[in-house]
Amino acid sequence: MSRQRRDPRAERGIRTVESRARPRLDVARRESPAASGRLRRDPWREWAASLVDETYRKRYDRSQRQMSREDAARFLAARSDIEATAISPGQPALHVVEEPAFLIFAVIEATGGRLSRFDRQVFGAARLLADADAGGGAVVAITTGEIDGLGEAGADRMLALPSANGGQARAAALRHAVETLLPRHVIFAEDGDSADLARRLSVALGDDLMSGVEHLTARQAVRPIRNGAREIGLAPPRLMTIGEDRVKPYAAAPCEARPIDASDFEAGADPAILSSEIIPGDPASLALSETDFVVSAGNGVSDIAAFRELAAAMKGTPGASRVVCDAGLMPRSAQVGASGTVLAADCYFALGISGAPQHLQGIAGCEHVIAVNTDLHAAMIERAGLAIVQDAQLVMPALLALLRERGA
Amino acid sequence: MRTLVLLSDARHPVSGRPHLSRLETQAIGLAASLDPAARGLHAGSGEDAVRAGLGHGLAGLDVIETTGEADPLPALVGFLADALGGADAPELILAGRRGEGGFETGLVPYLVAERLGLPIVADAVAIRAGEMPGTLVVDQAMAKGARRRVTVRLPAVVTVHPLSPLPRPFAYGPMRRGRIRRHSPAAEQADLPAVAKMAGHGTVAGRAEDTGGTTVGPVDVVPADERPHRARPKLMRTSGTAAGGANLHVGPDPTEAARLILDYLEANGIRRYGKAPE
Ligand SMILES: Cc1cc2nc3c(=O)[nH]c(=O)nc-3n(C[C@H](O)[C@H](O)[C@H](O)COP(=O)(O)OP(=O)(O)OC[C@H]3O[C@@H](n4cnc5c(N)ncnc54)[C@H](O)[C@@H]3O)c2cc1C
Repeated sequence: MSRQRRDPRAERGIRTVESRARPRLDVARRESPAASGRLRRDPWREWAASLVDETYRKRYDRSQRQMSREDAARFLAARSDIEATAISPGQPALHVVEEPAFLIFAVIEATGGRLSRFDRQVFGAARLLADADAGGGAVVAITTGEIDGLGEAGADRMLALPSANGGQARAAALRHAVETLLPRHVIFAEDGDSADLARRLSVALGDDLMSGVEHLTARQAVRPIRNGAREIGLAPPRLMTIGEDRVKPYAAAPCEARPIDASDFEAGADPAILSSEIIPGDPASLALSETDFVVSAGNGVSDIAAFRELAAAMKGTPGASRVVCDAGLMPRSAQVGASGTVLAADCYFALGISGAPQHLQGIAGCEHVIAVNTDLHAAMIERAGLAIVQDAQLVMPALLALLRERGA
Repeated sequence: MRTLVLLSDARHPVSGRPHLSRLETQAIGLAASLDPAARGLHAGSGEDAVRAGLGHGLAGLDVIETTGEADPLPALVGFLADALGGADAPELILAGRRGEGGFETGLVPYLVAERLGLPIVADAVAIRAGEMPGTLVVDQAMAKGARRRVTVRLPAVVTVHPLSPLPRPFAYGPMRRGRIRRHSPAAEQADLPAVAKMAGHGTVAGRAEDTGGTTVGPVDVVPADERPHRARPKLMRTSGTAAGGANLHVGPDPTEAARLILDYLEANGIRRYGKAPE
């Protein structure tokens, strides 16, 4: 067995960096990959790349998330000396499937043109099946319109089926798409219209549906039966609906979401449906667990009347911290937190709430949090996506005035 | 409006004994508000559990006596096809979203609707007769408290959402008074119309288990695949966006703060308030 001889002088030569004062070496530089075949990490670059903010003190985001395309663009603009891919070396910035070996349909709802958590989980499931084994599968997002962020969520292709009135017409259009494009799997969310569509498609195709999948790998899909006492596990079938919070959303390199020509798939009308209109929920009367936007008052709000007016004007459901409910200023049903309601809302607007752990538990699922608080060090300020250190009693009238001005 | 409620062979989640499923009780409540003479339809081996439906407001019950082994779908479809062709044809068929204690796929109402050629509307929380005769207005529950109001032509199959109103409380007297008609599946199937005969064929048989016998499964379920359930934790609900230090504003002017808040809400597509001044 012979080992390759090292030439230290030549190695030094390769690593020498041009500099005026004295010779400098770039020790981390490597021309060939490490002997183990694994890519070599560069901790210095990683720290530098994860530096988020230098305004007050250095803040690092070491969550090692793959950056979305927007983040990467912002990052590149801010620090031109480091590439965006430096954080997770070896991964491409864009995942492209040119010639898909097979297709996976992910049917998403995206109410209001935005992807929900559940929609992202459906993409996660589809990606899991598309990238299993040799990979090469492409995820096709089945939507009814233009939606942002499909690529980041994991869609290689996008098929916008024309919107139809009634589930039957939608199912017919989807069936046509399934019969022409022949996907290996069609994945739905076990929720609302998606669950309805999945069953219609299953009946129309005469194909079995595996509903409410709890555990999904490339080899098997498992779902509970008999009131959750037993379960069945099968190789993933063609039609599946997945349960909520069961499959991780996709978080690696963004995909391209290339549109597929949808002109052949036209939706007919369902003759049995005579009319159909959507009545939006009235936020003021909705239950906290059902609403999508909560405006909430804490001990820092002294003018409860103004707060109620504000919640109504912002079209949010009023909520409160425990202190406020204990004081009898708001009903107990409005309490947010561990011993109140755990929210499923998208957005939480906290006025004068300190952010006690019991309270934060209740808003753990909220994607966007806005906090107004006089205390810069309050936990709620740290949790918030938009934090404003200001007196709530001044911000509330200003908001009301601005809303009136904008004609809302 | 003549209304029929499909009652499944549900099992209690804890005791495993037959009981009347909660969703079907709610369906009975909706049916009783539309039709004082609403009837229930059950295909299965025992009627003890579904009898409770009489106490919640059903006027009568049709029970098709199938053995525990049999797939209820052909019996249901056969009975309904006959009834739809007969004099007192039901106009509205209500069902729960999915069975309890069987295979719980929720496909039975869809299969029934397809075999009978009826439209199906899912997730109803409120039902009333439409302005035109022969139509029905259904409020469907959607995410975030929204409702979709659909007008559909009768006859139709409608499934009920858990948010629909609670039924009448149980009363013992009406349960005792209620009439139960028993039918045998063989007699029903002997004079099947063509649509219903199809239902006995192919993949459909053994796939339906909403009203499900505990032994009949989807064709793809081999008994060997069934095993004790293992509880798996759900994903943690954490926020998708990182907490933003960049988005911290210390002591802004209140008007400026208000503008920031509304812009944030609009940028993230939460709410849109009028049009922003240029
Ligand atoms: C077992 C248990 C269960 C609990 N469950 C819950 C629960 O479910 N939900 C819940 O909310 N709490 C719960 N709590 C209580 C919780 O621990 C806190 O006491 C409570 O959440 C604090 O409410 P707060 O933030 O409104 O009040 P405080 O903690 O008093 O905070 C007030 C905040 O307002 C700020 N402020 C003051 N004046 C102004 C102003 N003019 N403008 C702007 N900001 C101002 C202050 O800086 C402070 O941060 C529970 C406690 C226990 C022990």
